[in-house]
Amino acid sequence: MLPDFLHAFGSQPNLVMGEPCLVFIQLNGGNDGLNTFVPYDNPLYYQLRSKIALSKDSVISKNNGMAFHPALKNFAEIQQKGDMSILQNVGYPEPNRSHFRSQEIWQTASAPNQYLSEGWLGRYLDLQCKEHQPTAGINLDAIDNLALKGKEPNFITVKDPNRFKIRTDKDDTVKLSDNPQLDFVRKIAYSVTEGAEEIQQALTKSTAEMSYPKTNLGKNLEWIARLIKGNLNSKVYYTSQNGYDTHDNQLAIHQRNLEELNDAVYSFYKDLKQANLLQNVTIVVFSEFGRRVKDNGNGTDHGTAAPLFVIGGNNRGKVLGSNPDLSDLDEGDLKYQIDFRSVYASLLNHKLEFDYQSIGITSKPINGLF
Amino acid sequence: MDKHNLWSIRLGFSGKQSPLIAAMGLEKFLEKSFASKFNKSVPDFLENSPKTIQELRAKRQALQNSASEDAKEMLKKELQVSFEMKAWWITKMQSEDYPLREKMTCFWHNHFVSTYQKVKVNHWIFQHNQLLREQAFGNFKTLTKQILQTNAMVRYLDNVDNRRDKINENLSRELLELFTLGIGNYTEEDIKNGAKGLAGLNLGEDQAVYRKLLENNDTITYFGKTGKFKAEEMVDIIFEQQAAPYLLTRKILQWFIYDNPPETLVTYYGDYFRKVDFEIKPLLIKIFTEEYPKDTAGSKIKDPLVYILQLMHELNATEMNPKLVAFFLKQQGMDLFNQPNVKGWNGGKEWLTSQIYLQRNNVADLLCDGRSWNRRIQFTNEMMSENMPQLKVKINWNRNGNHKSIIADLVNSLLFKTDENLQKEWESILKYDFNPKAENADYAVLRLFNAMVKTPEFQII
Repeated sequence: MLPDFLHAFGSQPNLVMGEPCLVFIQLNGGNDGLNTFVPYDNPLYYQLRSKIALSKDSVISKNNGMAFHPALKNFAEIQQKGDMSILQNVGYPEPNRSHFRSQEIWQTASAPNQYLSEGWLGRYLDLQCKEHQPTAGINLDAIDNLALKGKEPNFITVKDPNRFKIRTDKDDTVKLSDNPQLDFVRKIAYSVTEGAEEIQQALTKSTAEMSYPKTNLGKNLEWIARLIKGNLNSKVYYTSQNGYDTHDNQLAIHQRNLEELNDAVYSFYKDLKQANLLQNVTIVVFSEFGRRVKDNGNGTDHGTAAPLFVIGGNNRGKVLGSNPDLSDLDEGDLKYQIDFRSVYASLLNHKLEFDYQSIGITSKPINGLF
Repeated sequence: MDKHNLWSIRLGFSGKQSPLIAAMGLEKFLEKSFASKFNKSVPDFLENSPKTIQELRAKRQALQNSASEDAKEMLKKELQVSFEMKAWWITKMQSEDYPLREKMTCFWHNHFVSTYQKVKVNHWIFQHNQLLREQAFGNFKTLTKQILQTNAMVRYLDNVDNRRDKINENLSRELLELFTLGIGNYTEEDIKNGAKGLAGLNLGEDQAVYRKLLENNDTITYFGKTGKFKAEEMVDIIFEQQAAPYLLTRKILQWFIYDNPPETLVTYYGDYFRKVDFEIKPLLIKIFTEEYPKDTAGSKIKDPLVYILQLMHELNATEMNPKLVAFFLKQQGMDLFNQPNVKGWNGGKEWLTSQIYLQRNNVADLLCDGRSWNRRIQFTNEMMSENMPQLKVKINWNRNGNHKSIIADLVNSLLFKTDENLQKEWESILKYDFNPKAENADYAVLRLFNAMVKTPEFQII
């Protein structure tokens, strides 16, 4: 007879089935962290943001001086169920306030003055995939993503998987070329045939059981869920949501964005949970920077550190790092406390069992995340 | 690919000017291009769009007061006007004898980005576009000053919200980061102070103007100089900076020739650009005449615009509806008047993803098959079976040639290079016993053409 704990183990059917994978949701434009996970108890918050602070009465799920934006009600629920960790004040030294450069830094995990042409996930996939493997990473977006770019095109960018049809003619004359442009295009031509089939297979194996919101993000997460449920076995999925550059009219725009985020993520979360896959899937929600602590009237300018959310993947469900310190600022911006590269180190180390140092990340993994 | 054809595509949008370049030589061709005229009148499709501040205000009020269905209808109308404007521009690009002005206008369009989606006033977008056309070969410094003072730009980069004590840094930042010096060549202080200098530069009747009440008249330090600087003085100071010529020179090299221009060339042409006081014409002449003799074919991934206009030119698809071309461009990530963000289309490898490549191939199949597409339909294989609008297409080829010479002619106008494997493939489509006089000869050549334009080689110029 089996001891009880082993019996319990055995009754969780999908616990070890399927490969672990990461899902990134990038909030483009610089999400205002202070109005996302709000230091509602700090009088400075109200002093500095006279026009755009969220009132104590409106924020939800108050705990230890922090609370969620009212639009994030299901984020709060996920956190209460212990499936979400919140990392506070995530950023990096010598912060850059340009969208493009800061996204580049996040996507390549470079030092502030280092310029890399390959993304951190691309470098990981280069080492991880023994051969060119076009579906090792899936990017659901209108444009390619630098984070996934490596020496080999081990990822596919898909605007809408439903439209991703199998090509019938074969392209077996494809080979490398000395011309880098041609080499690149030939490899794309190659992955067009290869990846499409695998994606189609995964789509036919899975069904849509959950109703997702009809937003861009909702649609993208629904597809990602279908690919995961269809056992595509990609290591990394990446998607993004636009519109966080709230220089003006922030309250309304931010509310709308966070609602879309909350609803899409919640459907995705329920879907994975129901399919018993949440423990395999680690969802990371982040932005290239937070926003200036003091408002500029009805909006905020570019800032620095901000909270990062981790959902699923057996994270420990804690709030890590201290509450944002609004009295000790650097040119009006928050000082970072957790380097985002240590989040990457944790993900690679704990979730993908990969030596993060081999792709040039030197930060240590975070204690207490997984 | 022969040189005249390569440079016809580079200095325009297709091989259409290849015979001209061959006949008159590059220098004369450039001279004629610089002298090209353009129509300065406001096109008909803008007739009913609001233009004056008063009209705009009235329109906004009408929108606020009208029932939501009416409001939707009004917005939809302006969206249609925006689509007309795209079609208007595409037609211009196709039909100009000397399309270099439009090519350069499009370059500026992607440098001084200002999208309809955010600006929401077609007339301002048109004015902005006309300014770029007028100054296409003008002076970079002058154009920078003029652009800062367009209604389109002050709205696009939120300078309408940049007021005396309520500073908004957006325009000030992008002026330095994306329009002139590039990252690393200014400080955050310059941005903050620049924003003060720009405060109050707001919407005006024909162009943006400083509003006395909204100006910030603090004494500021901008790149080490101290004073009460406004937009024009700021631009003068920016262009005194060491880095001033290089960002634009690099982008010009990228737009016309190289996805990855060697830095030595950027410095070389950039230094010259400074020497000629940021005049565009001499810079272009120097770049084109010095790069022309070099063997540079195959150094750039084709943007969707060149891709589709070249295809249509080769297929003589003159009846193709330009609005559907605009729609295709949107699908391909090159929506005119609507870049994804202020940085514009990055180009290079970003033009191609697996899905975009697939779309290109599907569209090539359709066009070669004499079919157009409609707006409802996505570019997938499914569409092939549907009833598509018919389109007359026909390629020009030499009926007195044999299979090898016909292959060689097509390769010459379509592919920057070929190799043994491809040659075998072509000869398997157009076989040695091909009879140019046979009834189905046109179809066979078209099949060959179709296969060529689906190769990776055709995606590169």
